This record gives sequence, structure tokens and C-alpha cells, in this order.
Amino acid sequence: MNIENSPARKQISRDWDVLWERYGITVVLVIAWILAYFLVPKFNLPDNMLNVLRQSAFVGVAAVGMTVAIISGTFDLSIGSTLGFCAWTAVVVGAATGSVPLAMLASAVVGIVVGFINGMLITRIKIPAFITTLGMYFIVRAIHFILTDGAAARYSAKDFVWWGNGSVLGIPVPFIIFVIMAILIALVLNRTEFGRYVYSIGTNIQAAKVAGVPVQSTIVWIFIVSSLFASFSAFLIGSRIYSAGPGLEPDFALNVIATVVLGGTRLAGGRGSMLGTVAAAILFAGMGNVLNLLHTDSFVQRVAIGLVLLLALSIEGVRQRLFEISSRKTSKEVKLDKGSASNVS
Amino acid sequence: MSNRFIKFWKSYSIVIVVLVVAVIISFMAPRFFQFENLMNVLSNASVVAIVGLGMTLAIASGNFDLSVGSTAAFASCVSFSLVPALGIPLSILAGLITGAVVGLINGAIITELRVPAFIATLGMQTIVRGLALIYTGGKDLYLYGQTEYKVLSGNALGIPMPLIMALVIAIVLSLVVSQTRFGRHVLALGSNFPAAKRSGVQTTWVVWGVFAIVGVTAALSGMVVSAQVLTANGRLSTGLELSAIAVVVLGGTPLSGGRLTMLGTLMGALLIAIINNGLNLLNIPIFYQELTVGSLMLIALAINLSQGFKVSSLIRRPQ
Repeated sequence: MNIENSPARKQISRDWDVLWERYGITVVLVIAWILAYFLVPKFNLPDNMLNVLRQSAFVGVAAVGMTVAIISGTFDLSIGSTLGFCAWTAVVVGAATGSVPLAMLASAVVGIVVGFINGMLITRIKIPAFITTLGMYFIVRAIHFILTDGAAARYSAKDFVWWGNGSVLGIPVPFIIFVIMAILIALVLNRTEFGRYVYSIGTNIQAAKVAGVPVQSTIVWIFIVSSLFASFSAFLIGSRIYSAGPGLEPDFALNVIATVVLGGTRLAGGRGSMLGTVAAAILFAGMGNVLNLLHTDSFVQRVAIGLVLLLALSIEGVRQRLFEISSRKTSKEVKLDKGSASNVS
Repeated sequence: MSNRFIKFWKSYSIVIVVLVVAVIISFMAPRFFQFENLMNVLSNASVVAIVGLGMTLAIASGNFDLSVGSTAAFASCVSFSLVPALGIPLSILAGLITGAVVGLINGAIITELRVPAFIATLGMQTIVRGLALIYTGGKDLYLYGQTEYKVLSGNALGIPMPLIMALVIAIVLSLVVSQTRFGRHVLALGSNFPAAKRSGVQTTWVVWGVFAIVGVTAALSGMVVSAQVLTANGRLSTGLELSAIAVVVLGGTPLSGGRLTMLGTLMGALLIAIINNGLNLLNIPIFYQELTVGSLMLIALAINLSQGFKVSSLIRRPQ
């Protein structure tokens, strides 16, 4: 028996892949945080570390919704525009009515409507999700610009600004919301029928259909969720900076997708972890913070962030390759062994 | 007979749409059909078409390239910075080589590190944009008085150079796809990757080749834009990747891979350029241009029943 090439060895390798996928980025985050704590000057100030957590929430909340979409095997490119439009809606409605709940509600409604339109275009008109959400990216952005004529809106009432800038017991409000949302969606994914539908669609949509999963309505809900969470992010960002200008975060959708994928959710669908998404959001925010503390040029920061993304996502592929090479070698050795054995007999 | 009609409609519907839109716009804005304006439209269409043609090849092979905007910026910055040292022909060549190198790196990340193309080129988008900004220090590069660089954006025999380049690239790539082994392999990869691999297609080389070609077209598109104003900077061509994909999709190349139409891509680019020009002539704010691009994409796919999407392809992206 050659254990190198046995099913047991393959099983071990697969287990490692699953472990890496699920917890890899969290371990990386913990190690990176400890290193930064001791090595990067001023990183370990409580205010700074809390600020990292606060920053992580703005992309993170949208990433929670996007995780659902990516687990189901799709993604939503329209959320960049949805973000800008929802932030503007929140700020304008807040300024007009003076009511924060109304602002929150209005921005959520816009998010839900965009998500619903996405879902209907995909399931009823049968336009592929990539193109639907890309088209909606252009359309929502255009509508936003047409409505505002490119002007920014402002609203700086204290109880509005608190959501983005406040703290409860020292912990930043956006981060609290981020964690609550992540736990909530993780529970929905793991404990509810909807969650099972999402995973089964991501694993094998044909099989899901045959098995009686209401594929169409689930897809509509998935897009409503991803848009709705983008609107939560939008509310928090609008509140953080008291305002909403046009062209807010143009690369938002791609950043969010990068965060989710870095967190170990597979673009191919069917597998994913909310813990990873949270860790990846904090890791990205932490990296930005560390690079700022080290007075790195913002251009260099881009390069560093891209490199980290590629590095983290190539580990699995490289491991696979190494495994294939080693198993190819050992299978050759096995053949040689057999040959020599037969010679002896 | 009706079958032939349907086939004809499938292949040329976009041409008819372009003609109809052009006629409508010329009624609303008579200036549209002035020679200078038409040439302007064709130039604008060509800038996106050039990179769209490369993107068509990538999509037909079942991949995406999200890094083309950054590649365009980086290549034109490199090219501009080398003009004093190398002269214009060599510096243009250097820009093209830069594009090819970025493309090859994309290919290597995809095949050697096994990162999905979407993520690999997304990462490279950030990295290459960063490199372009670092390389220029975030400043503009000018070519004062070096009007010879305008060879890329000027006219040859009264015809805009970008148009000539777009047509040449379209013809060459069409021939490559239909006549060469590489071309057949690109389509084989796009229609069924595992089958292509098992039947002996050198998938690695094909992917590298495709991304090198996309890189070169992106670089060319970036240099044409820079040549028009004799200015290059690291922020050039932001969002080019989405426009390029939109043009390809409008032209009728399916995202599921395995099929392509270079004529469609040219027409898709032309359609958007005509509509944008019409909106400009009618003094409609620039924001409406994105509205038309987005709506057009959705309408084109909604009425294009020929594509016959299955439920499975609705939310699946090509990997």
C-alpha cells in the first residue's frame, strides 16, 4: 500500500482545503493583527483598532448580502450604483423629514426595489445575472445622476450621524450592526429553508430544480437580499460622511466581491462562510490602516491590496497543483515497484 | 425560407438596429450626417471597439478580463514616458508590449495559480492601476508638440486611424478564429473546457494567448485615447472593462462562451457611439448616456430569443 496515493491521503488533502477555505482567512487575520499590534507604531492604540473595526463595516455589511448571492453561484454587479443611490436617498429623506427611521426605511425600499427588478429581469425575462446586474449598474447610476444633476446632498443631524460615527460601550455602531447582520444571515443560511435553497442552487441548480426548490422565487429573494444589504451599507456610509455625493465608491461592487471571495466563499457557488467574510472585511480595513500608519503612498496601497487578494486566492490552486505533482510522482514509483516485484517472482 | 430569414436576422439584426437608430437620429439632429460628425462618431466607436474585439475573444474562450482599463492606462503612460528616449514608433511598440506582458501575467495567474479569471483580472485591475499611478506619480504626462504621436488618432486618406485599426483587428481576429488552430482551440475552451483539455488542447498556451491579445488591444485603445489629447495619466480609461463587456454583449456574443461575432462587437460599439453622439447633438445631459447603455444591454438580451438561455445559465457565470 502506498499511503501517498491512497484515498486516505486525498481525503486529508481535501480536509485541509476545506479547513483553509473556512478558517484560513480568520487565522491570517489573527496573526496579521498580532503582528501589527507589536510591529506597527500606533496601531495598538485602542482608538485606532476600533477605527479599523468601524471601517470594516462599510464594505462588510454589503459583503454579508453578497455572500448569499455568491453562495448561490451568482453575484450582483449593480450594488455600486445602488449604494450611491441609497445613500443619497437616505440623506435627502433624512434632511427633508428630519426622521432617521424614515431615512433608513426609504433607503431600504430603494434597495429592495432595485433587487426586485434585478430578480425579475433574471427569472422572468431570462437575462443572465451578470448582464442584468451590469445593465442595472449603468441604469441606476444614470437615474441617480439625472435626479441629482450631479450635486451632493448633506444631512448632519446628530441622531443621523450617530449611526456611522457613534459608539456603544466603546464599540463602533457600524461594527455592531455588521456583526449582528453577519450572525443573522449565517443563521438564515444554516437553519432555514431559504438557506438550504441558496446552497442547493449554488451546488447544482438543475438538481435543485428537480428536487422541488422554488428556484425562481429564491433567486429573486437572493437579489433582494444583496441589494438590501448594499442599502444598509449606503445608510452607514451616508451617516459616516454626513452626505452623499454622486460617484460614491465607483468600485464598490468589485471590492465587496473581492472581500467575500477572500473570505473563502467560492465563486463557483455552493460553499461559503460568513465568518470568513467578516474576517476578510476586517483584514482589508486593517491593511488600509496599517499602510496609512506606515505613511504608504495611496498608489502603493492599491498594489498591496491587489497582491494580497491574488496571494490569498492562489493558495488553494497552488496546493492542488503541488498535490497533483506529488501524486503523479508517487504513481510512477508505484508502477516501478510493481515492475521490480514481478521480476523477483 | 423562414429559417433562412431567422438566421439572417440573428446574424445581422444589430446592423439593422444601428441603421434604424442612425436614421432616427439624423432626423432629430440634422448635423448628425455631416462628414466631420460621422468621422467623429466612428473614431469614438473604434476606441471601445478595439478593446471590445479583444474582449470578444476572451469571452468566447469562457473568460473575462476586468483589467483592461488599468492596462490601457499603464500602457499609454509607459509609451508616453518613453517617447523622448525611443522615438515615437518604438514607444508605441513599447506600449503594446506592456499590454501583452500584463495579459501574459493575467494568463499565468489563471493557469499556473489556478485563480478564476474573474478574480485574477480583478486583482490585476487594482495592481496595474496602482502601478500606472506610481509610475506617473499621479501626474499627467504631456507630449508637447509631438504631433507625430497623433498617427494613432489622426486620419489616413481622410479615414480615422482608430477606425482602420478596429477594422483590421476585427478582420485579423475573425480570420484567426475561423482559420487557425489557435482560433478553434479558443472556441473549444469556451464551449467545454474539460473536454477541450482531455482532447489534447494546450489550454495553458491558449489562455495565455487570449489574454496577451486582450492586453495588446487594451493598450492600443489606451494609446489612441491618449494620442487624441496628447496627454496620458494613471486615471485614464477607468471603467473601460464594463463598457467593453457591454459592447460585446450588445453585439450578440454569448457570455456562455464558445461562439463569437466580431462584426457584432463592431456594431455594438457603433450603436453606443451613435446614440451618445445623438444625445450630445440634442443637448441631452451626459448622464443619459449610461441610461441608454444599460437599457440597451437589457433590451438586446431580452428580445434576443435566439440565445435560448437555460435556467442554469441564468445565474451561472463562465468560470
